[in-house]
Amino acid sequence: MRKPALEPITSRPPVVIALLVLLALVGLFCVGRLVHHFQQEEKALARQLYWRSLREQVAGKEDLAIQHFRAALSYDRDNFEYQLALARALVDSGRTQEAESYLIGLWERFPQNGEVNLALGRLAAKEKSLDRAIQYYHNAIYGLWVSDAEQNRVQAWFELIRVLIGLGARQQAEAELLSLSANVPPNAEMELRTANLFAEVQDYEHALTEYRRALGSDPTNAAALAGAGEAAYKLSRYRTAAGYLEAAAKARPQDAQLTQLLRTSQLVLENDPFNRRISRVERDRRLRKIFQDAGQRLDACIEAGAPQTSNSPTSSDLMSPLKGRWTKMKSKLGLLGTSRESDLPDEIMDLVLQIEQQTTACGMTAKDQALLLLAENRAGVEQ
Amino acid sequence: MRDSLTERQELAVPSNSAASEAVPNVRTHSWLFLTANLTEERFFLILSVFIGIFAGLAVICLRLAIDWTSISLLGPAPSPHTLPVLLMPAVVGLVIAVLVIHVFPQVRGSGVNQTKAAFYIFNGRIPFRTAVGKFITAALAIGSGQSLGPEDPSLQIGASLAWVIGRRMKFSREKLRLLAPVGAAAGLAAAFNAPISAVLFVIEEVIGRWSAAILGSVVLSAISSVVVVRSFLGAQPLFRIPPLATVHPTELLAYAVLGIVGGLAAVVFAKAIGYFRPLLVALPKATRYFQPALAGLMIGFIGYLGAPQVMGAGYESIDQAMHDHFTWTVLAGLAGLKILATTLSIITGTPGGMFAPTMFIGAMLGGAVGGVERHFYPHLTGTTGTYALVGMGVLFAGFMRVPMTSVFMVLELSGDYSIIVPVILANAIAYVISRSLQETPIFDLLTRQDGLNLPSLEEQREEGILRVEDAMKLPPAPVLDSRLTVAEAIEQLQGTSSDVFLVRSSPSGWGSLNRDVFERVVNEGKPGTTLASLLPAQPLPYLHPDHPLEMALRYVEQTPLVPVVSRADLGKLEGIITGEDVFARYRVATGESP
Repeated sequence: MRKPALEPITSRPPVVIALLVLLALVGLFCVGRLVHHFQQEEKALARQLYWRSLREQVAGKEDLAIQHFRAALSYDRDNFEYQLALARALVDSGRTQEAESYLIGLWERFPQNGEVNLALGRLAAKEKSLDRAIQYYHNAIYGLWVSDAEQNRVQAWFELIRVLIGLGARQQAEAELLSLSANVPPNAEMELRTANLFAEVQDYEHALTEYRRALGSDPTNAAALAGAGEAAYKLSRYRTAAGYLEAAAKARPQDAQLTQLLRTSQLVLENDPFNRRISRVERDRRLRKIFQDAGQRLDACIEAGAPQTSNSPTSSDLMSPLKGRWTKMKSKLGLLGTSRESDLPDEIMDLVLQIEQQTTACGMTAKDQALLLLAENRAGVEQ
Repeated sequence: MRDSLTERQELAVPSNSAASEAVPNVRTHSWLFLTANLTEERFFLILSVFIGIFAGLAVICLRLAIDWTSISLLGPAPSPHTLPVLLMPAVVGLVIAVLVIHVFPQVRGSGVNQTKAAFYIFNGRIPFRTAVGKFITAALAIGSGQSLGPEDPSLQIGASLAWVIGRRMKFSREKLRLLAPVGAAAGLAAAFNAPISAVLFVIEEVIGRWSAAILGSVVLSAISSVVVVRSFLGAQPLFRIPPLATVHPTELLAYAVLGIVGGLAAVVFAKAIGYFRPLLVALPKATRYFQPALAGLMIGFIGYLGAPQVMGAGYESIDQAMHDHFTWTVLAGLAGLKILATTLSIITGTPGGMFAPTMFIGAMLGGAVGGVERHFYPHLTGTTGTYALVGMGVLFAGFMRVPMTSVFMVLELSGDYSIIVPVILANAIAYVISRSLQETPIFDLLTRQDGLNLPSLEEQREEGILRVEDAMKLPPAPVLDSRLTVAEAIEQLQGTSSDVFLVRSSPSGWGSLNRDVFERVVNEGKPGTTLASLLPAQPLPYLHPDHPLEMALRYVEQTPLVPVVSRADLGKLEGIITGEDVFARYRVATGESP
């Protein structure tokens, strides 16, 4: 049977348009549901792959982890967490260039995100790009964090300072430390880290302050006691140093370095001829003793063969005149305590300093170290 | 002015007739404001939007189908040294072969040529069965790892949907034919998420000429399909575009090298397809059951050995190449392997497109050239992503020979016009090299191998256009004024032998009179009659010197001579043209004696 010819639909435009609209709406609804369902499935798949990658990362299978992070991203490509994880995995596996492009893509979307900026800062630090590193770390410090914002900011700050120290930008590191110390929460561990960093950039004054803050939070903290003792020692505050170091040595009796510092501090205090609390007779006795000790050290070093140090062309060439000067000075020791002594104490200490400096290659005992420090800081030793 | 009006009238004829059919019914439904003046032209435009929506929905479904097939067959993260990667393309290849041979015989190949053939030969007809078949087989092929893309099938599916809708509407044959490119643009735009490139590609490759008649519909359908896709799948392109940068003007040299490398690669790619495809077609028909499977096995083997990136459309790998994942040696290797894999898929007639593989190869080559340059001149090189993106355009220009699309594609994908100079430079070089070494563009080559001969824009560009000025003669003397009397005219014509004379009537009209007419009027004893009263009511058509010569053909049969007048002054005669002049010029053009 022949089909009846179709009536031209264009002759009924309203009906046709209404039908088309209806069809389009039905199509849009159905495809919308389909897409939604499929996208949910893909997201679940991506999640599975993500967890799998994390396990592989922990197991040290970096390449496989990267491959699966990528697969996860192919199913959920705007997922911030996966992108960041992939970027971190790439950084860890040394693929910095690719990691950077990933991170820059993320940064363009989330320029204030702390994690992204921190990761970019780490990359810039790895590439030794100081300005970029500072910029990204600052963005991280002042940026937005999803959780533990305060702690993450401080951690990023610590990391920046460590980077700056590593790149030799000591002054910038010190400036950052000063800002950080004003923002560190009252927490012994944080204060101790700050103090250690101050010590690392050789700002012992601030280091000592921070160690003291740490001890305020935790008075028995051995690391803080040791750090404070060392900082005080570096500042030539041997009495303070001895106090902290003694307490630290009690907590860490096996720490040889601590014991050595403590012993040196004590020797400095015991032998300091310029201590204003001692009598003139005691001063002269200490000066004579220091002079004798220096002479004995010089003789021992000459007898031992005077090993050459990097500072002196041939130590024996320099030691013979020193011995001559020592002998000459010895004849003047009788003037000590008389009105003719004039600058003799200083001259003695100058000679002791030179002897100690020239004989460093022969090995330094705590006593030698103490003599050297006394000769160097004859007016600065803490009274 | 008149001739352009005439043209418009001519074009308007079918519309008017359709409108005249529609008007009575429209009036009966005048309760709907939108139907008040709904001619076929306007209805066609509205329909374009719906075609775009339906094509967009179909393409979304195709993308989901491909993804689902890929996850099901190859696993969520295809990796080397796994059996699915090795075997699935081959196993699915057998299924595809059976489907193509027994169920959907029209779905072989990419779909671009079939759409073009539908436009030029079959009045836009692409049956719905073809769309269904293309959908299924392309999803299976691409999802199982054949080195093909979804863009060309989307184009064909869009064109098929357009034809199905148009047929239900009982459109005129002309309109039905025009629906094919409208649907094609919608399908391609949806697949590519780039409407401008889709429109340009359809104009350059499917229609093969600039046609103002359907430009509006093509643009509307492309935009509506992209809107649908973006509303469901997001506005982002198929791969993430990294920050683009060119560092130094001397870097243009590197882009020139990229143009050369891309042009040569395009030639190799096209020649491989052009050479091997007829060889496989010539094999016994029984082998067609195994050809896609064999191609699949070889592609699977490439993936199994360590390069699964070449399997499927490869968007993820393009993304990775743009973001510096691969070294230049790996990029170059992947480009070579992709050429091999795609050649295998195409020559075996596996349904799927060439767009994505072309982009893949271009991106890899671009990245490789960028990598080499960075190795030697690290301070002069921009990002790898820039090179990869430009590389995609280069392969498009060289392989598909669509220079306009290739430039706009890069700009549209990147949204960054700062790279336009390197893009144009590299694309132009690749295009010139490809044209020099490969005479026929790839789509034309495939069409000719299939026994069809369809027009192309490149062909048109190469054809010299003959114009009226090439055939016209100098104006005859004298040209008479319409205010003259017959007696005065006869006096002026003394000494001339011509039988037909041009008459200029105020202010810019033209007419012609025969010497016989003057004799008749004199014999009737009315020599004082003015020429104006003797002229026919219909003025003489005229042409301008720059009009195409074929336009003269429309008039030379109606009138013995056609005036050729200046565009600046319609009363100024530049020359005349007759039928004899036109044919003589055509004979010269074809090498015959005039």
